[in-house]
Amino acid sequence: MNIHEYQAKQILAQYGISVPAGGIAYTPAEAKRVAQHISARGPWMLKAQIQAGARHSGHFIGNSATPKGGIRQVTQIRNLSYEAAQMLNNTLVTDQTGPKGRLVSKVYVEAFKQVKHLFYAGMIIDTSVPAVTLLISDVIDEDIMKIADISREKILRLPLAYDAPLSDEQIKTILDFLLLDKSYSDGFKDFLNKLRVTFINLDAQMIEINPVGVMRNKKLIALDSKINFDDNAMFRHPDILRMQDDYEEDPRTLKAQRCGFHYREFEGNIGCVVNGDGLALEAIDVIRSKGYSAACALNVKGGVDKDRIAAGIKIIMTNPRVEGVLINILGGFLRCNLIADGIITATQEVGMNVPMVVRLEGTNKEEAKAILNESKLPIVFADNTDEAIDKLIKQMEVND
Amino acid sequence: MSVLANKNTRVLVQGITGIQASFHVKRSMDNGTNVVAGTSPQFSEKEHLGVPVFATVQEVVKNMPIDASVLFVPARAVKQAVREAVEAKIKLIVSIAQGVPVHDMLEIKAMLNGSETLMIGPNTPGLITPDEARLGIFPENIHHKGNVGIISRASTLTYEGVIETNLAGLGQSTVIGLGDDMIVGTDYCPLLTHFMEDDETKAIVLIGKADNVYEQMAAEHYAAMTHKKPVIAFVAGETLTYSAPMGYAADIITHGLSSIQDKKKFMKQSGMIVVEQMSQIHTALAELKLL
Repeated sequence: MNIHEYQAKQILAQYGISVPAGGIAYTPAEAKRVAQHISARGPWMLKAQIQAGARHSGHFIGNSATPKGGIRQVTQIRNLSYEAAQMLNNTLVTDQTGPKGRLVSKVYVEAFKQVKHLFYAGMIIDTSVPAVTLLISDVIDEDIMKIADISREKILRLPLAYDAPLSDEQIKTILDFLLLDKSYSDGFKDFLNKLRVTFINLDAQMIEINPVGVMRNKKLIALDSKINFDDNAMFRHPDILRMQDDYEEDPRTLKAQRCGFHYREFEGNIGCVVNGDGLALEAIDVIRSKGYSAACALNVKGGVDKDRIAAGIKIIMTNPRVEGVLINILGGFLRCNLIADGIITATQEVGMNVPMVVRLEGTNKEEAKAILNESKLPIVFADNTDEAIDKLIKQMEVND
Repeated sequence: MSVLANKNTRVLVQGITGIQASFHVKRSMDNGTNVVAGTSPQFSEKEHLGVPVFATVQEVVKNMPIDASVLFVPARAVKQAVREAVEAKIKLIVSIAQGVPVHDMLEIKAMLNGSETLMIGPNTPGLITPDEARLGIFPENIHHKGNVGIISRASTLTYEGVIETNLAGLGQSTVIGLGDDMIVGTDYCPLLTHFMEDDETKAIVLIGKADNVYEQMAAEHYAAMTHKKPVIAFVAGETLTYSAPMGYAADIITHGLSSIQDKKKFMKQSGMIVVEQMSQIHTALAELKLL
């Protein structure tokens, strides 16, 4: 689960990490008021709040006259509402949003901070160790990705102990890496340990401060902030769950999430309902090998409730890209008869206007087949993935 | 012989009284699994499915020896359940639930480190030795006793692997799902060793995924083995990459990891037979001429 920058900064502040003074604004006039409230004089930073990175180098659709991105420095108060108006209710496209971009409905106004040094700090779970791992680099902003490709030695990776703060030795390693002397130790220790506590206490999967500013007094300040949380642990953090911004999520993905299922969309025209990530990956690979591609994949693994499965199948059936549905279930925990009931409920509600091929194997398979046969729905059965996809493609070609 | 569990394995079920547990444990018992006890913190009856129910694992091991524990507890209770089983020195844990918080897994890995316990899962169909022991939720009707061992990191694809071995007319010695999650209790390596030492197992099918480094570790381990049986390997995720959360950190951290092509190359170099599609496994098995 992702949250906005301004929410992430509120969280960091609660954990004692310095962030610039700032406030959120929904209209240009409000942006100006917030700016005046923060400080009598500029400059200020104006930051579009969307849950995607590379905002600085992004551009607003239809605003080609002023090719400026979603992060702007404003020096004069008289320009503030004008700049905010260019962002609000406009669509920002960045390297991470895809071509459709994201609508900006709020901007964050912040005091501009003069700092001595800037560096990149990331914290993430390196599953190959596995350990919470700190990433440090003096390459900041979007350039960090370029060097990740070509010069990995410019990023320091430091696995952290799960139950202990950073050691003095680790702090020294970081300072040496950034070519800073030991007079910076206290500031770094304070900042990075607070970041570590935030990460662990809140079940974060990733925290990224890009960049961290080092101030003249050698204290550190988070100038940007992204936090991503583990969905599976949100039962422990109802306050964070309330921060979720539904407008940032694709409505079909959100619906699937509410059912407890994973859903992803792609560029093709075959809708897949499977149980298990591996089965989804395999289906997509096989579809590709036959010259087609998937429109979406719904993973109903662990589903035990007919209504939720029906809701899931409806998401696939109502995706306008879908011209054929593949249902490939190898039931263990998930019993095949639940899938059959789910298919029938879903088709009763939204109809069945595209071909559907069903392959069922495992727990209660025969019962499921009997249920589907009795329904008289025009469903084609298959015995394995390969055959199912062949039959579906054949049906789709007939429909053309 | 078989790997890790057979008809004599004394099995405990943690969380035995739940609806899903009851359904699947009964099937396991009907299938020959030697379930000897269960735990349930709130359950007031002393017995369920014909076996005694205790409040804690500690109490169980005071009363009877246990070789393996299957965890049917919900995801949020897995950490505590593993702690109990590890403290009771149970040799094998199989954890079924999906959705265990990743931070809990970091703590669980620390608990397992240096312990006597091997953990399979979480988010796995479990482990099955056909007709002898079903520790989990495998659809037992597709399994046949035989001599191919299966280790898989993609839960439902495991069943495809089973079907492939059936098509080759070989059946399975033991089938193990490592679990679908980013971090799992055990990787392939200790299991590969067990299968190499098992008389019944003549070949191994390994089903991997594109994310993480478990397949590279397996390849290294296999390459270094002196006593080898053939391994047929498949890696899912050719056209789809692992989805990363927003930001750069995830890309940076996964960047050093090799691509799926690299994975396959490592596996081939280690001597494994790598197939491009699941449906090629049965022909690859047939070519081994094990029958």
